[in-house]
This record gives sequence, structure tokens and C-alpha cells, in this order.
Amino acid sequence: MKWDWNAVSDFMPEFWHGLLVTLQILALGSLLSFTLGLVWALLMRTPSRWVRWPVGVVTEFVRNTPLLVQLFFLFYVLPEWGLTFSALATGAFAIGLHYSTYTMQVYRAGIEAVPVGQWEAATALNLPRRRTWTAVILPQAIRRVIPALGNYVIAMLKDTPMLMVITVLEMLGRARLFSQQHFQFTEPLTVIGVAFILISYLASLLLRALERRLVR
Amino acid sequence: MLSGAAALGAVGALGAAGCTRVASASGVRGGDLLARLRAQGVVRLGIAGEIPFGYIDKDGRLTGEAPELAKAVFKRLGVDRVQPVPSEFGSLIPGLKSQQFDVVAAGMYVNPERCQQVIFADPDYQMLDAFIVRKGNPKGLHSYRDVVEKKARFATGTGYAEIQYAVEAGYKQSDILIVPDQVAGLNAVEAGRVDVFAGTALTAREVVKKSGKAEATAPFAPLVKGKPHVDGGAFAFRLGETKLRDAFNVELRKLKRSGELFRILRPFGFTKAEITDLTAKELCGG
Repeated sequence: MKWDWNAVSDFMPEFWHGLLVTLQILALGSLLSFTLGLVWALLMRTPSRWVRWPVGVVTEFVRNTPLLVQLFFLFYVLPEWGLTFSALATGAFAIGLHYSTYTMQVYRAGIEAVPVGQWEAATALNLPRRRTWTAVILPQAIRRVIPALGNYVIAMLKDTPMLMVITVLEMLGRARLFSQQHFQFTEPLTVIGVAFILISYLASLLLRALERRLVR
Repeated sequence: MLSGAAALGAVGALGAAGCTRVASASGVRGGDLLARLRAQGVVRLGIAGEIPFGYIDKDGRLTGEAPELAKAVFKRLGVDRVQPVPSEFGSLIPGLKSQQFDVVAAGMYVNPERCQQVIFADPDYQMLDAFIVRKGNPKGLHSYRDVVEKKARFATGTGYAEIQYAVEAGYKQSDILIVPDQVAGLNAVEAGRVDVFAGTALTAREVVKKSGKAEATAPFAPLVKGKPHVDGGAFAFRLGETKLRDAFNVELRKLKRSGELFRILRPFGFTKAEITDLTAKELCGG
């Protein structure tokens, strides 16, 4: 096996494009999964079973089907019904939706971990329901779950190459395209492998710092 | 299971012959692959799952222009069975080089870049390009130049020669949408993600048959260095396996002369105009 530094330097412009796309997917996907997950978690706590039941079914369904199949469905089947989004938007949405069904469980755990005395105190102070949630329960709950959420960001990062199947040219897509044109595989694949390690490591450092600040 | 055992046998034979994974031909000059294939009685064909070049049909049988031709030629060479190894078009050459199959039977175009990676038999057909566009061709796209001038959104398949044609006409390479195959290309046109998908005239013609929303343009010759260029598709072999390639060429020429070639190709939509005398040497460009 030969290592060709020229192939690396030829690949770098492609790599930066791919990196940008990967980070875009990651940012959009995280944002979506964090907000949507919270929405699911709150809906699951409403007293009405007419809300809880459908939300439960939908989220179980999404969590228990493969992301790859969901990507194919959103990209190739929805346009049949007249709903066409760009590949990047479809990919970020799919990854965000998929992971929101995991983050909802994280939020649920966080909310349940708030001591029952906090609820009783809110009731004793006659706080309205909305204010109980926004000022008492959620700040404590979310603080607890930040590290767990962070793990899902890293998991999402590792799932971004799946978007290659719906023509999104993220890092792996770029590397494959480059390989097929130049018939050099080792160099581009190694470059993106190293990039994945670096990004995950940086993300976990960031998380640890965040954890230290938030969890006291 | 049987085929799995055969594949294992092939790997064993390679090991015994003492080749490393990257060495394309073992010690013997011109390669001893033909002798090995004869001993095994089976040849592994790399196919890309493209109708009509090489694909698995509804009944699960291997068929297509290239596999049918391979069956005929290899039978004459004393190898009775062919075994398909489905792959993606862009992975055919890497798969061939890494010994996943013995021959690429996907009607692959012969071009200078590929000639540096593999050796080609003489083309078994010649072909023009065509576009898949929405019904009525609303943007009036008939050539790569039209695509550039009318700023159409352009798609083609992974590893296709059409990427280069579009770039030669002035299309920005990073703006090309690369889809896995021609069905995904048709889908991209139908869904309005792109205005045009470029492929061979034959695939374009065949794949739009079931579509209510898209059509194929008339075939045209892409421009290479300013001159119209006719492509030829051929079987590809690992570098160094010249013995097998030359034996293949001899049988292919006989089939061409007897008219048997056209009888094999006709059921897949090929016409007389697509039978060719082009050689791999001409298409490799010296």
C-alpha cells in the first residue's frame, strides 16, 4: 500500500466542502432533536390520553425503524405526494426527527428526577402551571440532562454519513466521489476518518466543560 | 451455499498462487486467470444492476447485454458457469482490482482514465448519450452545451463518463448532483430536484418507459475536445490479464462476424446502429 500526499492535498478542497455540510447537518439535526424531543416529552405528560397515545405511537414507530429506511422514505416517497425538499433539508430533518425520539426519553428522565418537593413547593406558592414548568421544573431538569444530550450529538455525528444515500455530499460522500474519479481510496477515507475522531473528541471536551459549569 | 464455496475456492487458489491482494496478475506473463477459471468452471462477473446492461431480472436470474454475452463467450472459452456479483457502478473498477470478481460485465464505457486502471476487451456495442428530462422538455435541453447555457440543474450517476462530458462543456463539477443509478436519476427529474439526468441513450430510453412524468431526448454525441465522440462499452479485466482479454477478443470477433452478437444484444433494445468495429485501443487514446 502506498501513501500519496498529493492525493491528500488534491482531496482537501473537497474535504472542506464536505466538512461544512457535515457540520451543517449536525447543527440543524441537534437543534431539531433537542426542541422536538422536549415537545414530545411535555406532550407525554399531558393528562389527556388522546394526546399521549398518538404521540407514543408515533415516537415508538420512529425510534424502532432504521434511520436509513426513514431517509429513503422521506427522500424518494414523499415527492410522490408532492412534498419535495432539498437533500440537505431532508437529511437534517430525518436525523433530527429520529434522534428527537431518543432525546425525549432523556428529557423524561430529567423531569422525573426533579424532587417531588419542588412540585409541592410550586403548588404551595400557587404558581400557575406554565410558570411551574418554565421557572422551576425545566431549568433543573435540563441542567441534569445536558451530558446525556451531548452524547446524542456525537451519535448524530457518526450517523451523518448515512445521508450519502440520499445524494448529500457530506464528508464520506465527497471522499467516495473523489475515490471513484481518481481511483485512490486510502487517502481520502483516512482523512475523513481522522476528521471524525477529531470532531468527536473536540465535542466531548466541550461537553465536559459544559457539564462542569452546569452540574453542581 | 455452493457459490459461496466456489468463491472461497477462488480465494484459496489465489492464496496458493502466492499473489498479494494488489498484484493483478500472478507470476505467469499475461496472467493465468483463464486457466484458473477453466479449472473452477465458474467466472465471477461484476454487474452494476443497470437495465439493460447487466441486472438480476424479476425471477432472480442474471441477465442483461453483458452477462448474456459473457455466458456465450465464456462457454466457448471452456468456462461453463457465470456467477453475478452485484455492485454499484462506481465500485466496479475498485471491486475488480480487489479480486471481488474476475471480469466487469456492465457494458462499461472505455475511456482513457479507466484504461489506466484496467484493460478492456474490444467494445461489444457503441452508444450515444441522451438526457432524461420532464415531459415536453420544458427547458429545451438537447446537448451538454444547452445544459450550461440554460443553467439547468444537472445530475448523473456515480462514476459515469457523463460527469466529464458535462465538465468539458463548462458545467461546474461541484454543482453536479451525483445519484446512485439511473432509477434514482429518473426520480430526481420527476421530483423536480434537477432538470436533467444524463446517461446512455439506451438506459435513458428504457428507464423512462414506465414514467408518466419524464421522457428521453434524442440520442446525441457528446463533445470531447471539440469533436463529437462515440462511446463504446466493453468488458474490463485486471491489468496484466492480457491472455484472458485476448482470448475473449478472439471469441467476440467471431460472434460479431457471425451475427450472433446482434442476436444476443437485440432483446435488450440494441439496434444494428449500435454494433461497432471500434477497438479498445482507439478509445483508450494511445
